[in-house]
Amino acid sequence: MSEFIQSAYSGVLYGSVYGLMALGLTVIWGAMRLLNLAHGSLYLVGGYVGWTVVNRLSMPVEAAVPVSIAGAAIAGLLMYGFFLRPLVGRPGWDSATLITTVGVGIALEAGALLVYGPQVKDFPSLISGSFIYEKVLITYQGLLVMAVAAVCLLSVSTYMRMSRRGMAIRAVSQDVDAAKLMGIPIDTTFAIVIALSAGLAGLAGVLLSSTFYLSPTSGFTPMILAVVVTILGGLGSIKGTVVAAYSIGLIESFVNVYAGPSWGLPVLFGTMIVVLTLRPNGLFGVGEVRRL
Amino acid sequence: MTVDAPETTFDADEALDARLDPRASPWVRPRWLLLLGLLPFALALPLFLNSVAGGRFWLHLLIIFFVWGIVTQSWNLLLAVSGIYSFGQIALYAVGGWTTGYLATHVGVNPWISIWFAPVAAAIAAVVIGLPTLRLRGVYVVLITLAFLELLRNFLVNSPYEKISGGGYGLLYVPKLDFGSLGEGRKHVMFYYTGLVLFTIATYWIWRVFHSPLGMAFTALRDSEAYAVSRGVNQFRARLFLFVFCAFFTGLAAGLMTHYQGSISPSILGFGVLINLLAMIVIGGWGTFWGPIFGTAFLILLEEKWLRAGELQEYRKLVLGLMLAAIAVLAPRGLFPVIADGVRRLVKGPEREEEEEIAEAAGEAPIT
Repeated sequence: MSEFIQSAYSGVLYGSVYGLMALGLTVIWGAMRLLNLAHGSLYLVGGYVGWTVVNRLSMPVEAAVPVSIAGAAIAGLLMYGFFLRPLVGRPGWDSATLITTVGVGIALEAGALLVYGPQVKDFPSLISGSFIYEKVLITYQGLLVMAVAAVCLLSVSTYMRMSRRGMAIRAVSQDVDAAKLMGIPIDTTFAIVIALSAGLAGLAGVLLSSTFYLSPTSGFTPMILAVVVTILGGLGSIKGTVVAAYSIGLIESFVNVYAGPSWGLPVLFGTMIVVLTLRPNGLFGVGEVRRL
Repeated sequence: MTVDAPETTFDADEALDARLDPRASPWVRPRWLLLLGLLPFALALPLFLNSVAGGRFWLHLLIIFFVWGIVTQSWNLLLAVSGIYSFGQIALYAVGGWTTGYLATHVGVNPWISIWFAPVAAAIAAVVIGLPTLRLRGVYVVLITLAFLELLRNFLVNSPYEKISGGGYGLLYVPKLDFGSLGEGRKHVMFYYTGLVLFTIATYWIWRVFHSPLGMAFTALRDSEAYAVSRGVNQFRARLFLFVFCAFFTGLAAGLMTHYQGSISPSILGFGVLINLLAMIVIGGWGTFWGPIFGTAFLILLEEKWLRAGELQEYRKLVLGLMLAAIAVLAPRGLFPVIADGVRRLVKGPEREEEEEIAEAAGEAPIT
């Protein structure tokens, strides 16, 4: 029984983590057709900004959260301004953005290594304390992460459906040219999407660094898993992202608990290969990527 | 619904052969005279380097250049010319290297023979990876090939067969290619010649594909799949051929590298190597023939010679990342075409320049 609860608890926790990370990716893909491979580095920016606020400026952890979100959002906007905006409207958008985001990602990672060194950094949790239920250690921080992820997923999807800006973003996702003709400012919309997505990555960075620690390479694994989630759920679909995030989290933790920790990732990637072979557009993707 | 095949059905394999025949692309000819002129230089270079102080290091760099040059050229064909964003090329490299390394170390096959199993194994692995991948498009391909890469890395690190994984360290005592009882310097020279031969063969074939109707079919598939297919390009066969073709040479390069270094480790599957190779292609010239060759040479020099000598190794990744991002924005075609244009302008004078620019602008205008 305790094994089952352990798997379910960490499954939902992983799912929330992946959902938080993948949400930003899928929003960007939806609006800009851009797989942001610098997402993991924006997560790092969030984590390190938070660490600096807490340890160098000795401010409380609560203050670090908004600063980290803002820091990551600014980093995202800078990336957009310098490296993505000049590419809009040029041929070869796919490959060019793949390369620029990889490049920015490496540069940020290397920058973190130069400034903060390779040591693993401790990060205080927002809420300390834990309790034990059926021999399973449940931390308040873990519950907080779950709650924040759920709130973010809900509010972003509401924002997309209800608000004027959200509708503009969805219009741009459907057809950039038509949206432009209807008078939607494309540039502003892209900037909002980038800031939103980077802010979510920053939030993930500051929330998760207490659990997963902080080092210049710690953005990579969450990003790869977030990419898996986004693609498996169908690029651009928030609903698909939610479903895929929690199912991948649960699969990973159940396999980890029942089959051994070295099986988690292989099973995950195996599942993904099978799903993509059967459904080339992911679970909830629209059939736009496959043109024939 | 069945349709009777028309009498004039043509054999697909024959068609593939015909499209690779030199006569199928009469508009390109290798510059035999130039190559013949370069040959004595290429043959004498290692002998000269071997005799000067510090030349051994240059020889080593040249051998590395041959290996990575083959890999980047084939990856460029797949990634940039054909627009299949496969990040699994390095996995195929590992398959090749591991096959020949395992055969030579644990089965006792002579490296000269086992090295030929590397390209074959890589080609078979390419079919395995290729079949599910070829149904996908764009970024989905990035992910599924990365997944194969991770699976392979996981297997090589955690494999229950100690002989394969070497406890996570890989194969450490692979016999090197056997050159008899030559001295250490002479052996390096022989490695250089072996590398030169393999590099020349690979480059020739990649050049052939690049400038053949088949190469055009790949580019057509990249630019407009619907149009290419409606003009009779069999995309499944073309892409599978490309996958296997690129894997073959990548495996060959891996075999050479494994028997040159005498080891292969799972770190080859790390993200760093992947980024390095990508940077070679992007910085050199994405989708051009000479780009990857130029980029490989440039990055090997940058990394092994300049940064290491200047104690700037720490800044390597920062420089690399910013270069990648900047080149994609400022010079999307890479450095080689920019430099080549500059040289051409100097040689041909400014009158031709305008014409070329017009032609270029016409050719580069977005189709949509």
